Amino acid sequence: MLLDEKETKAITDKVLAMVKANDASVSVSSDQLSHLRFAHNNFLTSGQTISRGANVTVWIDGKRGTSSTTDLDDASLRSMVDQAEKLARLAPVDREYVPTLGKQIYKPVNGYVEATANMSLTARAAAIGSILSDCEKAKVIGAGFHSARSQSSGSASKNGNFEFERSTNVSLSVTARTVDGQSSGYFLRSHPDIGKLDIRRISSEAIKKARDGVNARTIEPGIYTVVLEPQAVADLLGNLGFGFNARNAEEGRSAYSAPGGKTKLGEKIFDDRITIYSDPWNPELPGSQSAQGGIPAEMVTLIENGILKNLIYNRFWAKTKGKEPTPGPVNTIFQASGPTASIDEMIKATKRGILVSRFWYIRGTDPRTASQTGLTRDGVWFIENGKIQYPVKNFRFNQSVIQMLAPGNVEMIGVSERVGGSEGGGSSASLLPALKLKAFNFTSQSEAV
Amino acid sequence: MTFSRRDFIKTASIALGAVTLPSWVYEAQAATNLYIEVNKNSLADTALSTAKKLGATYADIRINRYRLEAVSTREKHVQNVSSGQNFGFGVRVLVKGTWGFAASPIVTADEVARVTKEAIDIAKANSAFQRRRIELVPTPRVTASWKSSFKKDPFDVPVDDKIQFLLKLNEAAMETKGVTFVNSAMAWVNEQKYLATSDGSRIEQYLIRGNPSFNVTAVDRASGDFQSRASLREGQAIGYEYIERQDWLGDARLAGEEAVMKLKAKSVDPGKYDLILDPSHLFLTIHESVGHPTELDRALLWEANYAGTSFLTPEKTGKLQFGSKIVNFVADRTQPLGLATVGFDDEAVPGQKWHLVKDGTFVDWQTTRDLAPMIGKKSSYGCLHADSWGSVPFPRMPNVSLEPAKENVTADDLISGVDNGIMIYGRGSYSIDQQRYNFQFGGQTFWEIKNGKKAGMLRDVAYQSRTTDFWGACDGLGGQSTYLVPGSFNDGKGEPGQSNAVSHGCPVARFRNINVLNTAVTPSKT
Repeated sequence: MLLDEKETKAITDKVLAMVKANDASVSVSSDQLSHLRFAHNNFLTSGQTISRGANVTVWIDGKRGTSSTTDLDDASLRSMVDQAEKLARLAPVDREYVPTLGKQIYKPVNGYVEATANMSLTARAAAIGSILSDCEKAKVIGAGFHSARSQSSGSASKNGNFEFERSTNVSLSVTARTVDGQSSGYFLRSHPDIGKLDIRRISSEAIKKARDGVNARTIEPGIYTVVLEPQAVADLLGNLGFGFNARNAEEGRSAYSAPGGKTKLGEKIFDDRITIYSDPWNPELPGSQSAQGGIPAEMVTLIENGILKNLIYNRFWAKTKGKEPTPGPVNTIFQASGPTASIDEMIKATKRGILVSRFWYIRGTDPRTASQTGLTRDGVWFIENGKIQYPVKNFRFNQSVIQMLAPGNVEMIGVSERVGGSEGGGSSASLLPALKLKAFNFTSQSEAV
Repeated sequence: MTFSRRDFIKTASIALGAVTLPSWVYEAQAATNLYIEVNKNSLADTALSTAKKLGATYADIRINRYRLEAVSTREKHVQNVSSGQNFGFGVRVLVKGTWGFAASPIVTADEVARVTKEAIDIAKANSAFQRRRIELVPTPRVTASWKSSFKKDPFDVPVDDKIQFLLKLNEAAMETKGVTFVNSAMAWVNEQKYLATSDGSRIEQYLIRGNPSFNVTAVDRASGDFQSRASLREGQAIGYEYIERQDWLGDARLAGEEAVMKLKAKSVDPGKYDLILDPSHLFLTIHESVGHPTELDRALLWEANYAGTSFLTPEKTGKLQFGSKIVNFVADRTQPLGLATVGFDDEAVPGQKWHLVKDGTFVDWQTTRDLAPMIGKKSSYGCLHADSWGSVPFPRMPNVSLEPAKENVTADDLISGVDNGIMIYGRGSYSIDQQRYNFQFGGQTFWEIKNGKKAGMLRDVAYQSRTTDFWGACDGLGGQSTYLVPGSFNDGKGEPGQSNAVSHGCPVARFRNINVLNTAVTPSKT
């Protein structure tokens, strides 16, 4: 039920033909979301939603108006265009107006898998039924969420550009809780291809964590060495690559601003083994063929060997500052440029520390240092003399991300894998490694399970 | 395509069936300049009869239109002016005790029949593996229309007026030397909701809510420091009179002064303090520490995979000491200005008001028709809600409000009883664990209290506490004169994630001996 390229172009052409304004961009999207939610070893809600819409932005003598609709009939599209033009006539001049792009050449990204878009309802029901059986056999209470999404999006400009792409994503998260409510495990993974979503692994990891977390002890909060599983790293840093905004840094209101009105561009801010970049065509993490403002996406390196290599310039800020607009990021890839270590190797190398499965409810507390607070969740263990000793109760942390990745604090880095932040429920993902960090600041304890 | 109002009413009169709508519905819908030509009752008949024929024991259909208008500005210029509408329907069915749901933006009889069958197919596929059947408590059949309370429809106010208001607000914020940036915005939402259930209920509702906001930033380029001060007012279920009746320009001017003041404010010494919390701040603490743990779906592990469960469990009802004796929380879907105020919820249960915490004791839950029977209740409190026609309705929070003192207690009265404390205004950083024990809250402005008097400004303040310890430490509440109804325009919960708007009325309140930390300091040595 997704709109195909021909249908999308017919709508963008129609809308552009209706536009009287000097300049305009129109986007048309369609989306099919199929979900199954289960809890307490029982099916909860399940559904399929089709949605679609069009959005137009027009500029009349540099004045901008935007309108959108989910009705795609001619009259509604006309109404949408009329509304945008009405708003533009009322608006003051848009000082950040940059003319829309002319025809661009895009290198396609292969992020659409037919098998995901056409997932079988009965196969999904059986797969989740088998997870419930696993939970019952393991004497744990299972909950989880299976989501399969396919999307199409197209955009066109009055200056002659048109682009169209489709994508799919399927995710599964499982929480297993012991019957006494004293231990809980969680695991989440996603992929564009439903055939590559390892349901057995997701279910068994969640159950194992719940079982390994029983009889958690209380230990004092404080500064500990930590081993963070990739999920915990995703919860803290999932979309880090999108945070390097040039305008905020240059306006003096970002962790990448420097005294004297400067920025930290070119400075070594992270450990020299850390490289963070965006690659639209990574097969494990397909991004998008178009970056901000519709410019063709390219590989963009943000951090190279710990050095801040690029800040992100949108088209307006690039023009203001005499720079080229940044063709990304469209995803986040965190890669170790030196030798990597497995989680077991990290544990073996830890004299005294904490293994963290996951973080939850992370919110910024100080933008100057990219400081955050949040809590551990669903699996925390005390490590001593190279071995996991016992599970411990959850902690709240207060920690600067900049300090966390700074030279001297990063001890070991794992091989990156595809993982998404758990607050986003698997809707997006990054390639992120496990990390062993010398110091991490736990400030209080939580009895939550 | 623009309808004249007369043409529109003619079309609507033919299209609309059994439910007789009041004139405001026609006027409001005509103002949108959109087609409203679907016969909702006829479409509902199609959905409900199809569902019944295919084996559903219960079904409902929601046919909803959402309108949104937003204006955003920074300093002296407009960033965006947008207007959108979103129309579609969702069908929910219960087959063999298993839910199925499907939704589409194509609002035609054929599509309603197809989508209803799809919802049935989903429920049937899943029911083969269902362990325990979902059951619903009954609710009285109702035919009704309801409108939220507002005086001036914001969608009738010219966009230019909104732009000029925001630009004046920015100008006021930047009057103070040292203010570097200001962002301001206003968003208005109109929900036009239709619900028909297989129990025979047919309900039309029309809701308006608004969310004006601003954020002022002062940057000290030499030191690289920057501080922000956001608006202390929050979104409400109200019309454009919200803009016209409040002193927004005075607020913005004060925000500018306070943003600059924050650059030079004393950084807090961590330790134990008595806290005086203004309603502009306290509402969010109520939301996280009272609103969410009293959601019955969390306590029954339905939300275990996402937002989490609750430290409250059914056997603690009527027994657990939640707070001090002066603490009373009411759940209220009828509260004036409340963002979660409705005539009826999304399964035809009327809006109600009930106590969650009475004289400090936890006494009751937020329920829906499928949750109520699980704790032996015979009826629902009406907490089912979906954020769109395309979203599955599920348990969402009503307005949860702290009752004020009966006496006329002022903020100064509470401050006078504090030797070493901090007064906090506004919504800052917030985080709480998945069972709602441990939380940390920041704010917008912080004022030292010394020997019963408000002293200088502090910064870098956040407090950490444990829910029942915190509410147990509440020893003073302001009276009705200090009571406000702030709310959160976007409260996330559920999978797929949904956003709900909800308010938390509260007076100023005092809490003793709470742990305060300094958020600017991150020790880094093991």
